[in-house]
Amino acid sequence: MLLIEIFELLLLGVIGGGVFFWWRQSRAHRQNEALLNSKLVAVTQSSRQTGDNIAHDLRTPLTRLRADVEGALRHDDVEMHRATLERVLDEIQNMQNIINALLTLGQAEVGVMNVRKKTVNLSGLLEELIELYIPSAEDRSLTLQGNIAPDLTIEADRQLLARIFANLFDNELKYVPAGGTILLTALARGKRVEIRVEDDGPGIPVEMRDKIFERFARLDPSRTLSGGAGLGLSLVKAFAQLLQGEICVAESSLGGAAFILTLPVSAAKVSKLSPKSAVARL
Amino acid sequence: MKLLIIEDDESAAKLLGNGLVEAGFSVDLAHDGETGLRQARDGDHDLWVIDVMLPGRDGLSVLKALRDQGRRTPALILSALGEVDERVQGLRSGGDDYVVKPYAFVELLARIEALLRRVRSFGSGPETMLELADLRMDLLSRSVTRSGQEIDLQPREFHLLEYLMRHAGQVVTRTMLLENVWEYFFDPQTNVVDVHISRLRQKIDKSFATPLLHTVRGSGYILRVEP
Ligand SMILES: Nc1ncnc2c1ncn2[C@@H]1O[C@H](COP(=O)(O)OP(=O)(O)O)[C@@H](O)[C@H]1O
Ligand SMILES: [Mg+2]
Repeated sequence: MLLIEIFELLLLGVIGGGVFFWWRQSRAHRQNEALLNSKLVAVTQSSRQTGDNIAHDLRTPLTRLRADVEGALRHDDVEMHRATLERVLDEIQNMQNIINALLTLGQAEVGVMNVRKKTVNLSGLLEELIELYIPSAEDRSLTLQGNIAPDLTIEADRQLLARIFANLFDNELKYVPAGGTILLTALARGKRVEIRVEDDGPGIPVEMRDKIFERFARLDPSRTLSGGAGLGLSLVKAFAQLLQGEICVAESSLGGAAFILTLPVSAAKVSKLSPKSAVARL
Repeated sequence: MKLLIIEDDESAAKLLGNGLVEAGFSVDLAHDGETGLRQARDGDHDLWVIDVMLPGRDGLSVLKALRDQGRRTPALILSALGEVDERVQGLRSGGDDYVVKPYAFVELLARIEALLRRVRSFGSGPETMLELADLRMDLLSRSVTRSGQEIDLQPREFHLLEYLMRHAGQVVTRTMLLENVWEYFFDPQTNVVDVHISRLRQKIDKSFATPLLHTVRGSGYILRVEP
């Protein structure tokens, strides 16, 4: 079956993609070889720590894929083959998402990611994001509300900011049961802004509050096709740090989880640079 | 319509080429920057698909050389995740577009068609009225009617419908809508676009005999009269 061969090729491509990416990356930055080497060492180290998880996370869908394809090959039923190929494509997309998230994380953590800081109308951006998510929240019988101080402006990267809140909202919509409430609050605190995303859902147990920001950490460890891989909050944390901000989770007065993000109003005025963010400036 | 694909991975180029031939295009292939540059310069392609990372001369430098020679053919850039930087994003202001590898074929096809369409409508002057069957959008008074009946849209819904009407008859993907209507260059996990589309559909289609806003399974949406 030629089709199946093509899909096996595709699959190899997805897996090879990660390795290939760094190879290309190194070609692109040959002029910065020394700098790049130090970055690559950092990436390799950080990915080595989670190597077992990556292998596990890719082996699980691979096992499913293999069984599915082998099962289809035992038959000559065109309709069954079609259904199999559709599942294969979903799994490939799923694996691609994991690989993309890991690459983005690697880039964000060692500072090779592009950060375009500009003056952002934070109040406006948060209102827009709420507007973007309200219909999806309503579809799940959730109430999404904003309590946003007017005229908050900060120096930050609009796309990174939006990705932080999109990831938090994605979680709210997944983990807060129907009928629940999600509240976003934003206010100025001196030279920083504080933005809280909180809910009346199940919350995060105290002993897990640091842990859930780690790669692949989930309260429910079972990994289904639709459930996430446990990389969303790792991305949120990495993006917050790229913007010289901090994120933590606490118990909300609503009864569920409260994700609290603080960001400097003017990132340029933050003088203390960690070695990682020093790299980001080069 | 004739396309040139400059992509060094020969089997990827061939698979992509096959797909585009099936979609009705004729396709030339080049596997390195210098060859691609020569073929683009000597050919009469309607659009170039250019991979960023090419052996010898990279894709953006090929494109720049062509632009410096005054060639205005639209280009679609294929780039890896880490290569989407200012240079690549800056392309959008020049009327070009990019997709991140590994891309979905339908995404690439939709963007090729959008780019070709943009070129065709170039020079026709700013429009003040968009029309499809009995659906009319007045861009000056910012009002929408269907069969003469006023339709009340939120500002974002107006923007969404405007984008769909400007691309009527053509598949637009969720990612294209996020980028062009909301200006977000990432895909959220939640199906946010689908829900906005279904709300818009309620307003423009529900009480009328002919639906105009259709879902294309596995691809995105299309606004047209035919089902
Ligand atoms: N608002 C929330 N309420 C309860 N649990 C949450 C909430 N947000 C995140 N979590 C928990 O934290 C885990 C990690 O979240 P994340 O890193 O986004 O990964 P994912 O959503 O892919 O599982 C989730 O699996 C979930 O168990
Ligand atoms: Mg998540």
